[in-house]
Amino acid sequence: MSLRGGSAIIGYGETVFAKAKHSAGRSPLGEQCTAARLALADAGIAKDEVDGLVAIGPLDHGPSWSMDLAEYLQLRPSFLDTPYFGGAAGNAGILHAAAAIQAGLCRTVLLVGGSVSQPGPPAPHGVEDSVSFERDFDTIFGPMGDNSAYALIKRRYQHEFGAGEEGFAQVVVNARRHAARFANALLTTPVTVEDVLNSRMICDPLRMFEIVMPCTGAAALVLTSAERARDVRQRPVYLLGGGQAIDRGMWTPAYGREASLTTSPIKRSAASAFAMAGLTAADLDFLQLYDCYTITVIVALEDVGCCAKGEGAEFVARTDLSSTGTLPVNTDGGQLGRGQPYGACHFLPVIEASRQLMGRAGALQVADARFGLANGNGGAMANQCTLILGNEIP
Amino acid sequence: MSFQAAYQKPLPQILPETAGFWEATRRHELVVQQCAACGQRQYFPRLLCHRCLSDDLAWAPVSGQGVVYSFTIIRQVLHASFAPDVPYVYAIVELAEGVRLIANVVGIAPEQVRVGLPVKVVFAEVTPEVSLPQFEPV
Ligand SMILES: [Zn+2]
Repeated sequence: MSLRGGSAIIGYGETVFAKAKHSAGRSPLGEQCTAARLALADAGIAKDEVDGLVAIGPLDHGPSWSMDLAEYLQLRPSFLDTPYFGGAAGNAGILHAAAAIQAGLCRTVLLVGGSVSQPGPPAPHGVEDSVSFERDFDTIFGPMGDNSAYALIKRRYQHEFGAGEEGFAQVVVNARRHAARFANALLTTPVTVEDVLNSRMICDPLRMFEIVMPCTGAAALVLTSAERARDVRQRPVYLLGGGQAIDRGMWTPAYGREASLTTSPIKRSAASAFAMAGLTAADLDFLQLYDCYTITVIVALEDVGCCAKGEGAEFVARTDLSSTGTLPVNTDGGQLGRGQPYGACHFLPVIEASRQLMGRAGALQVADARFGLANGNGGAMANQCTLILGNEIP
Repeated sequence: MSFQAAYQKPLPQILPETAGFWEATRRHELVVQQCAACGQRQYFPRLLCHRCLSDDLAWAPVSGQGVVYSFTIIRQVLHASFAPDVPYVYAIVELAEGVRLIANVVGIAPEQVRVGLPVKVVFAEVTPEVSLPQFEPV
């Protein structure tokens, strides 16, 4: 049994994102309940019709989050999941939910994630909570969490392919250009390549503007069976294909003898997704790529098949990635333009893909969009989950 | 004052499967696990071979020679105990034997480090129990 066309996204919702310093009085439960309410209203689905729940809690909460949220909202789901492996978890949750729907475990699944960002430095995961081999063979050498992990990947990429800085900076320019026209974005000041190169060096060769800003917010969406989706308010966005692949542990790019730092598991996750959908990269009208750092966009474009390996930075520099361009990418501004609300960020690529395929993207609408790709990236590119979506079943 | 009291940074916990590695670094030797069943070398140490799942593993000395595979310069720290060291180099070193590991590159100005730089292992005696492998230019 394939997941092709068996389920559809029929609504979504987001809370208003806020910088950490403006987050007083907001709570993870409050954020997620609000996003859930907005998504159900958007879909026109009554709470009592929800019989599946996929919820991603804040980083400091354990894997019982979906049960706690079910209690808070008084849901009685017959399918529950708390996918918990970084930014690939949202798309993976959609795959799990789609499989559950098609297996008859449930029919309509609410998916939600979000958290509240605290002022100050990010929580030092990779220090206190890491598994024994990270604690004993990595943390002792003083890494800087995600920043140093992605810095190692970007450095190696630049070494292997002789890539300069312009393509990386263009990823930020594109994100900010979209964010400036997107309603729920925090980094709305357009920037130039020069601005990015002049931003402070944080973790060589990563500069400030290449790194996401954590923020507060939640996002939710509703996935239901294709049959149920025939009679709903919004234009259904069908799940056409999906795949997940990992090649390392969560944070340390050093481990995994076979793993390349510059070819990601997207190669496998995207190949699975395209095969299931019966489509290729050439069929895509846009891509929504998890962009916690600039390097993820460049490697993803290569590994999805939009350009050759090693040419991603140059490809970005010479391609119009805007919503009206030849290959629209991250048309909501991505996380580099919107901010990163942990847990919600996992769902932002698929929600923007849905916004486009429902034809609700307003000034940022990709004309005649039929098929799009949403990618989730977790654990310093170790874990990838790719979805192909469409507003028709080809 | 003991080593332990003076050293504030995170230390490895010595586990049954990793004790042999840390015993070797105390003698200023770098070892990796080698599988008696299939010959696979692996780092970090595990309870079994990640290739064939055999638990018949032995400690194999390695040259300690390698190259910088990738690196970054840490200027802001997550763990406050590293603050006195900034800027310092956090790197992946690829050993001549083909194993990659995380370590610091020392004995060179951070700005001088390059991918491909030949390095050799040195040992930092941080506590009576633990000597950390570090790398410096050949
Ligand atoms: Zn073996």
